[in-house]
Amino acid sequence: MKVYDGSQTEDAQETEPERLKVGIAEYEVTTGAAVLTTSGLGSCIGIALYDTSTGAAGLVHIMLPTADDVEGGNRAKFADTGVTELVEALEAVGASPSTMQAKIAGGSDMLDFSEDGSSIGSRNLTKVRETLDEFDIPIAGEDVGGDHGRSLQLEADSGDLVVKSANTDSVVL
Amino acid sequence: MNVDIQSLGTFNELAHEGAKQATQSLAQMTGIDAIVDITKITLLDRDDIGEDLKGRDFVGVQFEYEGILDGDTVLVFDAESADTIAESMIPGASEDPKMAQSAVKEIGNIMMSGFIDGWADYLDSTIDHSPPQYIEKSGADVLPDAPEADDHRQVFVFKSEIEWVGESVNFYIYMLPEYEPLAEAMVESADTESDAIPIDKLQTFNEMTTSGTQQAADNVEMMTGIPTDAEVTQISFAPIEDVPKQIGTDTYVGTVVEFTGIPSGYLMVLFDEVSAVNVAEAMMPVEMDSDELTPQHEAAIEELGNIMTSGFVDGWANVLQTSVDHTPPRLVHDMGRSIVDPLAAQVGQHQEHAFIIDSKMQTDEIEFSAEIHALPNEQELRAALDDLDVERADKTEASVEQMFE
Repeated sequence: MKVYDGSQTEDAQETEPERLKVGIAEYEVTTGAAVLTTSGLGSCIGIALYDTSTGAAGLVHIMLPTADDVEGGNRAKFADTGVTELVEALEAVGASPSTMQAKIAGGSDMLDFSEDGSSIGSRNLTKVRETLDEFDIPIAGEDVGGDHGRSLQLEADSGDLVVKSANTDSVVL
Repeated sequence: MNVDIQSLGTFNELAHEGAKQATQSLAQMTGIDAIVDITKITLLDRDDIGEDLKGRDFVGVQFEYEGILDGDTVLVFDAESADTIAESMIPGASEDPKMAQSAVKEIGNIMMSGFIDGWADYLDSTIDHSPPQYIEKSGADVLPDAPEADDHRQVFVFKSEIEWVGESVNFYIYMLPEYEPLAEAMVESADTESDAIPIDKLQTFNEMTTSGTQQAADNVEMMTGIPTDAEVTQISFAPIEDVPKQIGTDTYVGTVVEFTGIPSGYLMVLFDEVSAVNVAEAMMPVEMDSDELTPQHEAAIEELGNIMTSGFVDGWANVLQTSVDHTPPRLVHDMGRSIVDPLAAQVGQHQEHAFIIDSKMQTDEIEFSAEIHALPNEQELRAALDDLDVERADKTEASVEQMFE
């Protein structure tokens, strides 16, 4: 598996698929062969959805569990509304939740100073699972929890999700 | 003069929208796919502006503007990317310096017109700007001189970083407005006085932070024998989701604590990996063979992080006359952004925007630099500033007297 890490030479540019960067509380959707990337997930979670029938794919980077307490604002910031937003954006390009599968990564417990044992990472994770479950979207792969950060690359043509960490080797989900 | 949180948020959004418009103009003209990575308002000492541009060459355009806001603004590119930009507008332009220059000027003009018009529209007033002036300089020299004001050493700077997708190339838009018109515009756009922060106290707070950083630097010197100087101290304001972007994707080693009191929040002491090894070895009695970070190095970093944190936090507590306690340090060794991410999320449960306090220190003797970042609870910071007794500001080393005449 070739891993695109941004250190490519000019020559490699020609054949490289389009890269779409997904920031915190943002999402991107593609129907082509783009590579969707997001970096620096700690307690945040990256949710990659891939529609097996149309090949459409999308990635959202959520930060907090639920939008319940917030009026208006950015839906992609929260696990519940963020997953919903991504599903809707994929539906808008012809995908259907019934043929979507999810891969998720992040939700680390690093630097959790809360004393009641419910870290934001684990609460994010619970909410992501709940919301995916509501849409009946199966989780086909995950690399979650632990106490380290992650960066992700979703290769839209295959649905592969490459998970990179600072101190360990890459994992392909 | 007071500035409320909401208008800081609004002005930040305004700068962000302006930068987005400018970036769209760029994409239309050149086909270059770029995104606005980060926008923030920073209050810092005029001498420290553009510190992060050090050692690189830039080209770009500069404008003066006047009207409801007065000042200068620049749009600059990394010098090496200027050719690519010129080439994408006029094929062959990179061969001819004159053509390259006019291409940069043209694109700069179009990008910045959108940026400045956006401000004028929002403020429902006019802002005139001069024709673009081509500039080609190194490091912070590329930025215009900060506006002169007798009673303000610190200035507000709006900074947007625009990233060229898939390339390690950045554009920067800096806007340096004159203090008084900006402060007035902010006050006018404020909806409520309830969450106002006195700007002058924000400046005092910055000076306190400088003295805290110096204390932390002194502690480094004490532990390692390496003379260390506090370099830059700034306080920035950004949407909570932009907070992790303040720190790069490189790997850092350091410590994080939660501090409690008024204000509460999180404090990070971070070293790049090379600095971590160097500074840890300076603390060790025996020479280590390894260039890698060993458990011994990590233990030394943890100890140093603890002492630096104490020095920094004591600086605040002395002036605020509160006790600021902190948890034992937690050692981190990870990608910079993912270290900040869970802390921003914690703070983000209660607020949409955040103040970020950044300090840097370095030494000439060995390759060593350290960053301290604090992420305070916004409401508590506001309360602390409200209670800040200006009389006690002289309990730090900082010379704040002249700011409160």
